[in-house]
Amino acid sequence: MKAKALIAVLSLTVAGSALADMKVEDAIKFRQSAYATMGWSMARIKGNVEGAYNKDEVIKAANVIQAIANSGMGALYVPGSDKGKGWAETRVKPELFTDKDGVGKVAMSFNKEANELAKVAATGDAAAVKAQFGKLGAACKACHDDYRGDKK
Amino acid sequence: MNSERRRLWDLPTRFFHWLLVLLVAAAIITGQLGGNLMVWHGRLGVVLAGLLAFRLAWGFVGSTYARFCQFAPTPSRLRAYLTGQWQGLGHNPLGALSVFALLGLLTVQVSTGLLANDDIAFVGPLYDLIDKELSNQLTSLHHKIGDLLIILIGLHVAAIMFYAHVKKKNLVKPMVTGWHEGEADGESARGGGALALLLALLLAVAALYGASGAWLPEPPPALPAAQVPAW
Repeated sequence: MKAKALIAVLSLTVAGSALADMKVEDAIKFRQSAYATMGWSMARIKGNVEGAYNKDEVIKAANVIQAIANSGMGALYVPGSDKGKGWAETRVKPELFTDKDGVGKVAMSFNKEANELAKVAATGDAAAVKAQFGKLGAACKACHDDYRGDKK
Repeated sequence: MNSERRRLWDLPTRFFHWLLVLLVAAAIITGQLGGNLMVWHGRLGVVLAGLLAFRLAWGFVGSTYARFCQFAPTPSRLRAYLTGQWQGLGHNPLGALSVFALLGLLTVQVSTGLLANDDIAFVGPLYDLIDKELSNQLTSLHHKIGDLLIILIGLHVAAIMFYAHVKKKNLVKPMVTGWHEGEADGESARGGGALALLLALLLAVAALYGASGAWLPEPPPALPAAQVPAW
C-alpha cells in the first residue's frame, strides 16, 4: 500500500517536472521575487520624480523593470501554480491560466510601457519620466484588477 | 398637518451633501484609473476624512433634520413607513437606513484607504502605522467596499428617481434650496447655530490633520551620495 502510494507520488512528481520543468513552489517564489524587485524600482523612481531627481538612479531602476518585463515571466505561470505558496500564498486568479487573450493584452501593454520608461529615463527628462511612470503604473494596475485576487 | 414652507436641510448639511457627491465621484474615478492619479486619490481620501468627521459631528450638534437620532430607523418607525403611516419631515425611515449605510461604509472606506497600498507606487498617508500584511488585507477590503459603495450609490439615485417619477416628489430640490414645500408632519428645523458649526469644523480639521499623516515622524533621510556604495 505504502509502496504504491510512493510510486504514485513519484510518478506524479516526475510527470509534473517533465511538464513544467520547475517546482511550483519555486515558480511562485521567482514570480513574487520579480514583482518585489520591480516594487523596489518603482519606489525608487517615485522618490526621484517627487523629490530631488537623480538621472542615474532612475536609469538603474527603469532598466531593472525593463529587464524583468522582457524576461518572459509568463514561463513562471506553470500548470498547477494557480494555487500554492512561494514566499507567501499566491494571489493569482485562476483566470490568468484560462483567459489567454486578456492576459496577453495586459502583459504586452506592461512590456510596452516598461520599455518606454527605460527609453525616457535615458533622456533624463524628469517631467517625461513622471508621465511615463504613471502610464506604467496604470499598466500594472490593469493586471492587478483582473488577474490578482484579494489578500485573504 | 400643515403645508406652508418649512426649513428642512440646513446649509452645512446641503454643503456637505454636494461636496460629498463631488469628492466621492472624483475618488471613484481616480481610483479606477490609477497611474499618477493615485496621488489625487490619496488627497481626496484625506479631505473626505475631514468631510465625514464634519457630518458625524453634525449628526449630533446640527439642526433638527440633520441629527441622527431624529431619523434613526427604529423598528417601529420602519413598520410605520412600510404600512404607509409615516408622514414625517426629513429622511424617511427606509432612506435613513441608506444614509447610515452610506456614511458608515464611506467611513470604513476612507479609513482603510488611508492605510492601504497598491503594490505599484501608492501607499496611503497612514501606511507607516501598520505592517504590510495588514495593509494588504485592508486594501482588499477597500476594493470590496468600493464595489459595494457603487451599488449603494446606484440604489440611492434610483430611489430618488423613483420618488420623482412614481411618487411625484422632488427630493433633489430641497437638498438644493433647503426648504420643504407641501404637506408633512414636522416643524421647521431648529438648532445647529454658529457654535455648533464651529465645533463640527474643529473636529473636521482635526480629522483632516490626523488623516494626512503630517504628524507621523519623518522617515530616516537617504544616505548622502558619497556614502552610497558604488555597487
